[in-house]
Amino acid sequence: MLKDLHIVVMIKQVPVPKAMKTKADGMMDRSGKSMMNPYCQNALEEALKLRDKVGGKVSVVSMGPPNAQQSLNEALRRGADEAYLLSDRLLAGSDTWATAVALSETIKTFVSPFDVLFAGLQTIDGDTAHVGPQVAEHLGLYQVCYVDKIELLENSLKVRRLIEGGYESFDVPLPVMLSITKEANTPRGPSLNASLKAVNKEVKIVSVADIGLSKEEVGLSGSPTIVSRVLNVVINRPPVMLFNEKTPQESVNKLLETFNSAESDVEVS
Amino acid sequence: MSEDDERARRRAELDAKVPIVDLRNGAKGIATWAQTIGEDLHPAALEILGEARRISSKIDDQTVTSIVIGKNAEKHADTLISHGADKVYVISDDRLEYYRDLPYARAVTEAIKEINPEIMIYTATALGRSLAPRCASRLHVGLSADCTQLDVGQYISRKQNQRFPTAFLMIRPSFGESKLATIIGPWTYPQSATVRPGVFRPLEPDTTRKGEVILFTPNFTDEDWKTEVLSFENEADRLELDKADIIISGGKGIGKDGFVMLQELVDAIRENGQKVELGSSRAAVNAGYISHDHQIGQTGKTVHPKLYVAVGISGAIQHLMGMQSSRKVIAINTDPNARIFSVADYGIVDDYKNVIPPLIEKVKSGFKFNFENV
Repeated sequence: MLKDLHIVVMIKQVPVPKAMKTKADGMMDRSGKSMMNPYCQNALEEALKLRDKVGGKVSVVSMGPPNAQQSLNEALRRGADEAYLLSDRLLAGSDTWATAVALSETIKTFVSPFDVLFAGLQTIDGDTAHVGPQVAEHLGLYQVCYVDKIELLENSLKVRRLIEGGYESFDVPLPVMLSITKEANTPRGPSLNASLKAVNKEVKIVSVADIGLSKEEVGLSGSPTIVSRVLNVVINRPPVMLFNEKTPQESVNKLLETFNSAESDVEVS
Repeated sequence: MSEDDERARRRAELDAKVPIVDLRNGAKGIATWAQTIGEDLHPAALEILGEARRISSKIDDQTVTSIVIGKNAEKHADTLISHGADKVYVISDDRLEYYRDLPYARAVTEAIKEINPEIMIYTATALGRSLAPRCASRLHVGLSADCTQLDVGQYISRKQNQRFPTAFLMIRPSFGESKLATIIGPWTYPQSATVRPGVFRPLEPDTTRKGEVILFTPNFTDEDWKTEVLSFENEADRLELDKADIIISGGKGIGKDGFVMLQELVDAIRENGQKVELGSSRAAVNAGYISHDHQIGQTGKTVHPKLYVAVGISGAIQHLMGMQSSRKVIAINTDPNARIFSVADYGIVDDYKNVIPPLIEKVKSGFKFNFENV
């Protein structure tokens, strides 16, 4: 029977949707109001649920500016046992490859061995869904992405994933990386009990030197892709034809009439 | 000569002095992953193949190779060739009937190593977004996600004193704003990208095209097969947003009741024999008014129906990205300044509660949208 698992969750702090701004260099401006990435909240919830069932501990790991501590503290108040933040100026400009390398080394150094690694399906700022599978490859883990259901088996997990045209269920051995969809659960808020415990816990902040990487391997210089330019989107469409008759009914009638009698660009004989 | 011309001339002169760097090390041509669903090709497999064919004219070696994996995968070779592939790598194995990350990653990475392309394109579907990062990581190459435009062009880094005449330009909408970011990575090969389904059109099939079929056997390990497939649930009632002629889409503002009303409109249009589906904005999904599979936009589906009706949708750029190539757009919104009107052909500035009921009445009394001239 699965018992006392060490469960790791990767968490990213993201700008709240209204505060998302791209800087001139194509990078996200992270100075505004922030939150724990919604999908990471679902990943954390699955981790806490699993620990509550089988025992063990939940470690959360993040990479970001020092203020990402907020999201890790939030994770502790929801019930995570330990939190690590990789924060270093050298990490600026990391693409998903460089992010995955740095997170993998952080996980190896501070929270290994482990049984299950959770990631949110994607973040709402980058929207790539890359980092989970990239870390899984670096660490040589099994993986299942787009997971919305997890059940315990004797020595493995039964997980269900979304694919095109339906769902697939797997019996997957450990250690495994699972990326979690928003449909999987409703994340809990902070609990009084966990918050009281969290008072005595501290987010451990670690640097690139602590995980044994050189400055060439991280940040912009460790990234095989860069943003070469950012352009404003131009939408070219003739102006809208508005219908504003005496009643909504008349507006609808007029609109439908106009729609169905619209002239074609092609000559019809 | 004007000042601008003079400046452009000087710039070109400086650019020409930047030495050409070629790190391809023999990598040439383009490869694509042709995704299958069960034993069928995913429509996006042919879309990315068509785009690969189009951009291939801009690189030295114009060979386009498709990699197809699955049970009886060889049966897709002719379709892929007629849609633009010069070569098809077929990895056919009964154990590949259902998608599993590790055997698929093994198959794709070993095929890529043998093909040695300079550009690799995957579909940004649920499977592509699982497989591509795993493969790119194994190959130690960069990867750009969810691209909506692809091109090949010159990239000059004055700082590094490098000029790449035919860099792969991977273009995607940037977060939260009306901006497009061009991502490049001419330092590792293949330069790799996932591409959003529904964005590109497949080529018209040409059955006279000739191509080479290569049956490829990867060196699978026992480890690759340890994840066991327990079941596959077919979603019979799956939405067909990509096949609908009409999409009626709701925003967060209309609330749960609004979606009930839109569903009634959808049912009435369907009753009249027109192909219609219900769509939504991301905010409406996040608010829990409707399930994620209805979501249209940057993080949902890209659609181009003949008619898109946006009801109570303000028109966040992420949403516009997913529907702006619709043939005709009708917008209904209380806010005359809502951005959705900038991409709409027809509009009514009013509350959906006033507009949708008479629309339902018209449809129920037999009104059909005429697409002859659209």
